[in-house]
Amino acid sequence: MRDQDGFGISRRDLLKAGVAIGVGTFLYPGIGAFAKSDDPVKIGHIDPQTGTYAALGGSQIAGAKLAIDQINAKGGILGRPVQLLVEDSAANVGQSVQKARKLVNRNKVHFLMGAVSSAVALALSQAAHDMNVLYLDIGGHADAVTGSKCHWNTFRTCSTTWLLTAGDFKTIFDKFGKKWYFLTPDYAFGHALHRDYVSQLKQAGGQELGNALAPLGTTDFSSYLIKAKSTNPDVLIVLNAGNDMINTLKQATQFGLNKDMAVGGAMMEMEVLESLPEAARYGYWNMEWYWQQPNVPHVKEFVDAYKKHNADKVPTARSWFGFASAHALALAAEKAKSLNTMKVVKALEGLELPPEVSLQPNKAIYRAGDHQLIGSEYPGQINKSGSYPNLFDVADVVDASKIARSVEAKGCKMTYPS
Amino acid sequence: MKSAASRHVDAAKPADAMSSQKSTRRRVAASALVWALLLTAPYWLPLTGGYTDLGSRVLVFSLAALGLNLLLGFTGGLSFGHAAYFGLGAYGTGLMLKFVTHSTPLALLAGVALGGLGATLFGPVTVRRRGIYFAMITIAIGQMFYFVAVRWNSLTGGEDGLTGFERTNIHFGHAILNLHNSTIFYYFTLFFFAIGCAVVWSVLRSPLGHTFVAIRENQKRLRFLGVSVGFYLWIAFAISGFIAALAGALYALLNNFTSPEDLNWVLSGDFVIICVLGGMRTFWGPLVGSVIYVVVQDYLSSITVNWMSFIGAIFVLAVLFFPWGLLGFFQRRIQK
Repeated sequence: MRDQDGFGISRRDLLKAGVAIGVGTFLYPGIGAFAKSDDPVKIGHIDPQTGTYAALGGSQIAGAKLAIDQINAKGGILGRPVQLLVEDSAANVGQSVQKARKLVNRNKVHFLMGAVSSAVALALSQAAHDMNVLYLDIGGHADAVTGSKCHWNTFRTCSTTWLLTAGDFKTIFDKFGKKWYFLTPDYAFGHALHRDYVSQLKQAGGQELGNALAPLGTTDFSSYLIKAKSTNPDVLIVLNAGNDMINTLKQATQFGLNKDMAVGGAMMEMEVLESLPEAARYGYWNMEWYWQQPNVPHVKEFVDAYKKHNADKVPTARSWFGFASAHALALAAEKAKSLNTMKVVKALEGLELPPEVSLQPNKAIYRAGDHQLIGSEYPGQINKSGSYPNLFDVADVVDASKIARSVEAKGCKMTYPS
Repeated sequence: MKSAASRHVDAAKPADAMSSQKSTRRRVAASALVWALLLTAPYWLPLTGGYTDLGSRVLVFSLAALGLNLLLGFTGGLSFGHAAYFGLGAYGTGLMLKFVTHSTPLALLAGVALGGLGATLFGPVTVRRRGIYFAMITIAIGQMFYFVAVRWNSLTGGEDGLTGFERTNIHFGHAILNLHNSTIFYYFTLFFFAIGCAVVWSVLRSPLGHTFVAIRENQKRLRFLGVSVGFYLWIAFAISGFIAALAGALYALLNNFTSPEDLNWVLSGDFVIICVLGGMRTFWGPLVGSVIYVVVQDYLSSITVNWMSFIGAIFVLAVLFFPWGLLGFFQRRIQK
């Protein structure tokens, strides 16, 4: 048998392999892309379309698409049409980095945006920094993205974990008690939320009874919930997101935890609420944007336009992130009159979103010092008896500029390339 | 005992001198063409819609698969845990660059040493079993490293992956090798790919390599001949671990990033798929498999989120119709 020492290969094999490779590369989309002109402004959008954060990523993409349609209807960016290139990250860090490199190296995108998972956001921020591309983190919340690991080319639309926790900390603490137990997803986002809550809890004289770390994508939370119950806290803080949050709340109901203690957390999302059975709808949470703001101009038009494109679903906070982010990039490029990374970065610093984009009662500004959008928080309570889309009662709209930490306190030292 | 093994193989070679001469010439021509294609890749890749980093990715994956193939294709040990050594190489390099040194070659060396020694250390545990049990043990060891990386937040960054390091330029006196440039990094990777190829090639040419093949073909007979099969399996395991670690180290440098996914058994499975797709009894099989796998992934994952189903379908079709892999298939056709 030839293959016993068969590390050789014949010329004909090679020719055939060459043909196979040739055919393979012919199928490859590059040639077509080459023929087209380089005219459109390209935005690379990396978000999970599969995995535990698929629903959240889907909303962000839908929001961004709506914004791109609006921008194109008004003549695009600098007179050029805008193209959104969406790639699936599956909330997988390695895959996201690879996609970012592909979008920049092959598709030559001008900007990158996206991320639901904080880990992905941190990794994309660094990859974009390597490649000198502007990256707008639209949905990864960990403080570090615009804090200790801030980069000159990275901006963020969604709140920091600090803002999320500060949004409803006081209400939960005053209302339900000072002995807290945490259920935390074991990655950047969860750790950051936990740290931020604990530092406020300690300052207010509260007590942390325990913190259960669950890996991302856990389906069975029973062991964590039993541990939580055994410590008998006043409040159970659930810091999960996406499907993990749904599973936690469903199982907490089965264990009757919500009867013994208050349940709450830093971040509730419309996507999660939609998927919860009625029995599992309870608790005190914080939202980052809500579709029902009758006294705020332009919100209704946005909600209607979004519903028209998305099978009558109301926009979620995530939809708004995508929407506002795509608009912010377009506004900054128009302001800079350029697509040059540094010029657009400078234009985005201190940019205030116009009311038809910000869609909230307070000002929404990309802070120049740390590139963080400072807007509003919407703490409130789940509407137990409500039906879709009336699932949440916003108690208060908090102006984030009043609770945000300073750039120095966040530990961001911005350095620009010389 | 080595000579016994090599005689066994020699006997199986075609005796016809003419045809052997012809096949040698063919082999040389084929290798020359492969190297020519690889050396000029940065120039023709963009014309076909690829990009240089994609070329580097193909090289990294084929290097890892080449390492695995020494064990899988030539020694007959199905390892489902080679991502562990790949990932250790990546983490070793990343940690070294982040905490200890800014020297890329030193970091690379550290990564290769970490991954390779990992394989050397755990080799004796695995080689005591064959077949499915061997595969299970390799998975278990691999997953052990995976969970260490996930849980050891302070060092590895946990699930977030290891960030905060980047490859640095190499200084030769006055000359600077600018590794930040994609094309130069491609040649940097190609250089180490060539070293990996040279190692595997010379091993396969040596009596040691013939022993490996003999183990694959008839382990029992070798045992009767007094060959310490476990010992040779261990050597194969260690060498292939070192090569996988080298690939992992290059991967960390390519992305300036590494995550627990690089240690996961899913990636080990990908390496096996690459070997099987390309042809695990051929020398260049892993390269062909890697081209198919990486390009299909890169292309299809932009079009559909279900790209894995296509890889799966390709794999099933390949196993059904090309059980010897693409290269193996063509090679056998020609020999008929």
